[in-house]
Amino acid sequence: MQSIVASMLRVEPLHLRSMLIAALLGAWAAQACADALDGVLEVRSAYVSVEGGVFLLHARIEYPVNPAIRDALHDGVILSVDLDARIERERRFWFNADVVDLTLRRELEYHAVSDRYLVRDARSGDQKSFATLEEALTDLGTVEGWPVLVEPQLTPGHYRISVRAGVRRGRLPASLRTLMFWTDDWHRVSEWYTWSLPG
Amino acid sequence: MVTAGLTPPPVQKPRWRAVALVLLWAAIGAGALLLLAKSVQNSGEFSRLQPWILLLNIVGVIALITLLARKITQLVRDYRAHVPGSRLTARTVAIFGALVVAPLLIVYLFSLQFLNRGIDSWFHVEVKQGLNDALVLSRAALDLRVREYSHHTENLAHSLLSTPAEDVAQRVYDERRATGALEMAVFGAHERLIAASFENPLESMPTRPPPDLLRQVQEHRSYVSLEPQAGGEYLIRTAAPFSDSVARSDTRYLVAIYEVPTQLAALSEAVQHAYSQYGELAALREPLKSGFTLTLTLVLLLAMLAAIYGAIFFAQRLVRPVQDLIEGTRAVGKGDFATRLPLPSRDEMGFLVHSFNDMTKRLRRAREEATRSRQVVERERERLAIILARLSTGVVVVDRELTVSIANQAAGAILGTDLSAARGRALPDLTASNQRLGQFVAALVVRFAAGREEWREQIELEGGAAGRRTLMCACTPQPGADRDVGYVIVFDDITNMLQAQRDAAWGEVARRLAHEIKNPLTPIQLSAERLRRRLLAGMNERDAEILERGTRTIVQQVETMQQMVNAFSEYARAPEMQVTRFSLNQLVTEVADLYRAQDPLKHIRLELDERLESIEADRGRVRQILNNLVTNALEALDGVEGPLLEISTRLENTAENAYAIVTVCDNGPGFQRELLGRVFDPYVTSKPKGTGLGLAIVKKIIEEHGGHIDADNRPEGGARVRVVLPVKDSTRTAAAGTRERRDQLRRERA
Repeated sequence: MQSIVASMLRVEPLHLRSMLIAALLGAWAAQACADALDGVLEVRSAYVSVEGGVFLLHARIEYPVNPAIRDALHDGVILSVDLDARIERERRFWFNADVVDLTLRRELEYHAVSDRYLVRDARSGDQKSFATLEEALTDLGTVEGWPVLVEPQLTPGHYRISVRAGVRRGRLPASLRTLMFWTDDWHRVSEWYTWSLPG
Repeated sequence: MVTAGLTPPPVQKPRWRAVALVLLWAAIGAGALLLLAKSVQNSGEFSRLQPWILLLNIVGVIALITLLARKITQLVRDYRAHVPGSRLTARTVAIFGALVVAPLLIVYLFSLQFLNRGIDSWFHVEVKQGLNDALVLSRAALDLRVREYSHHTENLAHSLLSTPAEDVAQRVYDERRATGALEMAVFGAHERLIAASFENPLESMPTRPPPDLLRQVQEHRSYVSLEPQAGGEYLIRTAAPFSDSVARSDTRYLVAIYEVPTQLAALSEAVQHAYSQYGELAALREPLKSGFTLTLTLVLLLAMLAAIYGAIFFAQRLVRPVQDLIEGTRAVGKGDFATRLPLPSRDEMGFLVHSFNDMTKRLRRAREEATRSRQVVERERERLAIILARLSTGVVVVDRELTVSIANQAAGAILGTDLSAARGRALPDLTASNQRLGQFVAALVVRFAAGREEWREQIELEGGAAGRRTLMCACTPQPGADRDVGYVIVFDDITNMLQAQRDAAWGEVARRLAHEIKNPLTPIQLSAERLRRRLLAGMNERDAEILERGTRTIVQQVETMQQMVNAFSEYARAPEMQVTRFSLNQLVTEVADLYRAQDPLKHIRLELDERLESIEADRGRVRQILNNLVTNALEALDGVEGPLLEISTRLENTAENAYAIVTVCDNGPGFQRELLGRVFDPYVTSKPKGTGLGLAIVKKIIEEHGGHIDADNRPEGGARVRVVLPVKDSTRTAAAGTRERRDQLRRERA
């Protein structure tokens, strides 16, 4: 639960502020148990490949499917499906330095007029439609060749890559999302999937 | 808080605390404004800061609750302990709290109501129904198109069966152009492209069929799907299998993609957009309400706690000068005029505190003045008390009920009682144990009862160890505004003075008598003897006998007269006393033994107090006293049947001195009643041969020793003489000194 809250805040679980906040917000976090987004939400696998000096991220993510999600989509709710990638340079006597902190944001929507599920890239606006929710989620859970880093950004040292998937409801503005922090159980993130870049 | 006692001067509270508080609040306010501005400009930034703001709010709530609990606990404790100002503080807090909390609650409830109703108003049933209807309508319109295009594709696919293979491409091209399809392609087994035609001439490859399409055509079923596009367009993808053999491996299928007319697509997209937005908002309805409610509640809680804390804080600050004033007033009530209160401010309260400080300063000055005056009065009173104590004259001040207000030491000494504790008590209540005081009070009562308020008279007091005393007493109403307040009674024991006057007179008489009589006695005696010597030889026997008898009588009488004159001389003479310490009992025994030897017929009985060990006195003179008293008594016993002389000694201790009392009693005829008061005066005697100086000399010697003597008759008959002598010589000297001082004062007064 602690990690859930910490991840909601997009911080490392071991970070001091996370621990402080997690301790204080434990009670609310207990209530914030994601009943609506119940199911498996995890990064199954992830790796990077380098092509032409560009680090490409490949990942397989499993997103939850349950009647509540299906009903909510049919009622018109849009689900934001995020993939957070973070690359840090490890430091021995101090906190790790953030090199890259990216989010791949996509949206899943049920198109009531056509009775299809749409997967839309929130940044480019490109969209695909699927006849079933499972097909849409399979598409969402397959990330191929997401460029996250270029070689010049790296200096000698050890690097750690972390990937985390998140699902939340709608396209709410941030201020309204903040307001709904208390009660919104349509917000969930996976554990960080972390590995080190080979030196 | 002001404490009793010496209060340090008011110290101005450090202003830096107030300045720091103001700066802190200003910083908090500025921070809040900055956050607000940033959140408006960049909601993402606000989202990042949100946990910190939340944490800050929670910490603030906890801190406020802690502070408030402490304040309220202290307030309740003070209220129960009746600490000054606590009730005023509680009342002020209640009023302030009510004034702040009530509007807050009203605004809170109104806001909740407004928000809930506002949010609910977004989701009217009619809107939902309208959206559903529009959706159905859109679906129906699109479904018509979908079915039309699907049917057309099926027909075309069927017609392609009879089309030769070389004409299929042209046929597809023609049909695509004829139907306005965006794309039309014929695939064989394994998705092998047989023919294709595109509206866009730049395209050369058809869109890859989706998996579900492939699944369906492989199952020899037609396929149709309506696919929304990113720009709000709709594509209708249709597929129809066709085969000229029963073998499924030879199945071919036609895929056609049509575009929904722009107007229909826009309308459908609008419906979709509205439906989607409505659904999203509807899903947010309850969470939004709860979020608003919780946020508002947190804000209300913060505001209320802060308001109540502020109310307590400012109430205490407002009441603190009042508490100081209450404490200061109590301290002043207890007599601490050194109380100075710190000046709280320059407002009306400050003016009040300043006035209080000014008042205490004036009171302190007034008290110092009063103290000085009282000290002066006390000094005067002490001086007066010393004078009264040193006075040999008794001074008693009484009211109309004879309650003593002042009685000096001399008054007690003269009246033979201790009047030091008589203050506030009525004189008649003190007479029970003192006969002389009783007589004194009786004399006063008689005069006051007769309405006499101002008088000067002699009062005779009988009894007591000191014997008969004569007081010169003067009474005057106590001076003052009210003449009925009481009386000032001034009295003096003039017994000794009168006695001294008598003694002096008698001494002079005795000296003159001795001088005037003694001189002619010797010539008389010599002449008588010469007459007898010259004439006796020449006379006859008868004349000679006459002469002899006459001259003898003359000589005897002259000798008697000489003895008398010697006695007079002795009375008038006052030789130096030779004071030694000796046993009075032993001396009494010696004297008694001497007289027993002389006159064994007369029985002398001794009763000696063994406690009386020794006294300091002139042994010779005391022996003379005893000789005189015993001689007198024995002479009185002449011719008495069963003569008995009793001599007793006794030690009597008073509060101040010890006295030896010698009592000489006989069973003779006793003193004549008419002489009883004057037996110690010279020339007072009932004996035919007595000079009348014996008891006078005895009395003189006793008084020289600081003692006194009295005489009376025993009830069973016979005389009784009682001699009181001080055991220590210091008593005599002190008494003599007092007497001398008193005589000196009298002489000066005269």
